[in-house]
Amino acid sequence: MPLRRLDVLLSLTRADLNARYGRGPWQLGKWLLDPFALVGVYLLLVTFVLGRAGEAPGLSLACAIVPFQLLMMTIVNSMTAVSARRSIILNMSFERILIPVSAVLTEAVAFGASLTLVVLLMAVYGVAPTAAIVWLPVVLLATLTFAAGCAYPATLFGLWFPDMRVIAVSLVRTLFFLAPGLVSLSQIEGRAGDLVRLNPLTGLFESYRAVLLYGHRPAAWQLLYPVGIGALFLVAALPIYRREQAQFAKAME
Amino acid sequence: MNAAIDAYELGVRFYFDRQRRPVTPALAGLRRRVSESWGLRDLSFSIGPGESVALIGPSGAGKTTLLRSLAGIFVPDAGRLEVRGRVASLLSIDAGLLPRLTGRENCLLLAVLGGLSRAEARAAVARVKERSGLAEAFDRPVSSFSQGMSARLGYAVAEQTRPQVLLLDEVHEALDHEFRAIVEETAQKIVGSGGIVVAAGHDHPLLEQLCGRALLLRGGKVAADGAFLDVRAAYFAEAEMDGRAE
Repeated sequence: MPLRRLDVLLSLTRADLNARYGRGPWQLGKWLLDPFALVGVYLLLVTFVLGRAGEAPGLSLACAIVPFQLLMMTIVNSMTAVSARRSIILNMSFERILIPVSAVLTEAVAFGASLTLVVLLMAVYGVAPTAAIVWLPVVLLATLTFAAGCAYPATLFGLWFPDMRVIAVSLVRTLFFLAPGLVSLSQIEGRAGDLVRLNPLTGLFESYRAVLLYGHRPAAWQLLYPVGIGALFLVAALPIYRREQAQFAKAME
Repeated sequence: MNAAIDAYELGVRFYFDRQRRPVTPALAGLRRRVSESWGLRDLSFSIGPGESVALIGPSGAGKTTLLRSLAGIFVPDAGRLEVRGRVASLLSIDAGLLPRLTGRENCLLLAVLGGLSRAEARAAVARVKERSGLAEAFDRPVSSFSQGMSARLGYAVAEQTRPQVLLLDEVHEALDHEFRAIVEETAQKIVGSGGIVVAAGHDHPLLEQLCGRALLLRGGKVAADGAFLDVRAAYFAEAEMDGRAE
């Protein structure tokens, strides 16, 4: 990546981090609040309401919630990425192709901070890291690739259909429940167990559980399938995005 | 320095949905009831090094659209446009600032988007703070700024990018007299060193101070081109005939 492009990308990301999460020590608190709260609520649901706690339920939930938060927040951020930058888009010429990447990077910083939740829960449940932990960077990379693949179509969707953003967020949230988010894949039996594998989130969630909870390397499909879907989104959306980016300012008038 | 602007039969088109919201061409292709209008049409002119040009005309004449095209923000849908030289632009009343960021954070972002490296932007922060005269307000969110303060900050950042082509759209009208003198001084420096200044607005005495030449725009086309005072006289004469008051 040329240095100029990197400077623009880092500046957009830095500005986005400050605009979305504020400054100072509270910034970390905002990053952690959502995943901590979600794990707490779902833990109560799984343990007391559904009675399907399984093995180390808090950690198992965190293995799904932490990567899902990255995806969710990337999509939310991407859908408003153009309108939130309206003033600079109408005032300056710069590479608009970097906008979705900066949305991913912004949320990746928050994602990095929320990994502390996983570490904390491993300590709480007494789950020691195994040699499978070396796969964690690959799993993280697969998560980021999938998020980046979703960021470009999400940006276009948010620009084209601003009134539909809320529905899109609900649909993405539904994907969490159509994947082994609350319970692990091994707890889903029969045809449902086969069908949830079609959801790219299934592979991601299970790969985190494999590396952090079960202590073995993730199955190939768990990483390749979401990466493939992400790449497919990217290949489909990027040419349209390239064409549309020159028109962003007109749509912001 | 070899700044130059050449426009030949320039056209910029907008699409609107049935609620008159602007949409992109791709979305326009997907929707049934879409209308289009040309913000600029068959616009041809040249601006050479050392020229300062005012864009005058009624609201909706195409002044802002032309400035945004010159800044590379709007891509021409017809004709050809060539702008040579490093461009700095202040094209909206918010001066391109993001309201949730502080003055300092906006300075760092806009300086990089304006062409500086991150290291150069960091080095420019102190100069921008001093030049803008914002003092402690520099570290407050821009949402608390007045229009004049935003314009000061936007202008001070633009200045740091050492523009060869300076584009101003009404923003300078939000400035106080003290800062207007700074804008005039900078504009003269740019023009004196072979650069170009293009300014649009309705404050004609200020435009007269900045520009020796004017383009009168009407309906997205050039209606007159010449010395500022002559073009302004033609504009007023037309407005009087049309029963409009400026």
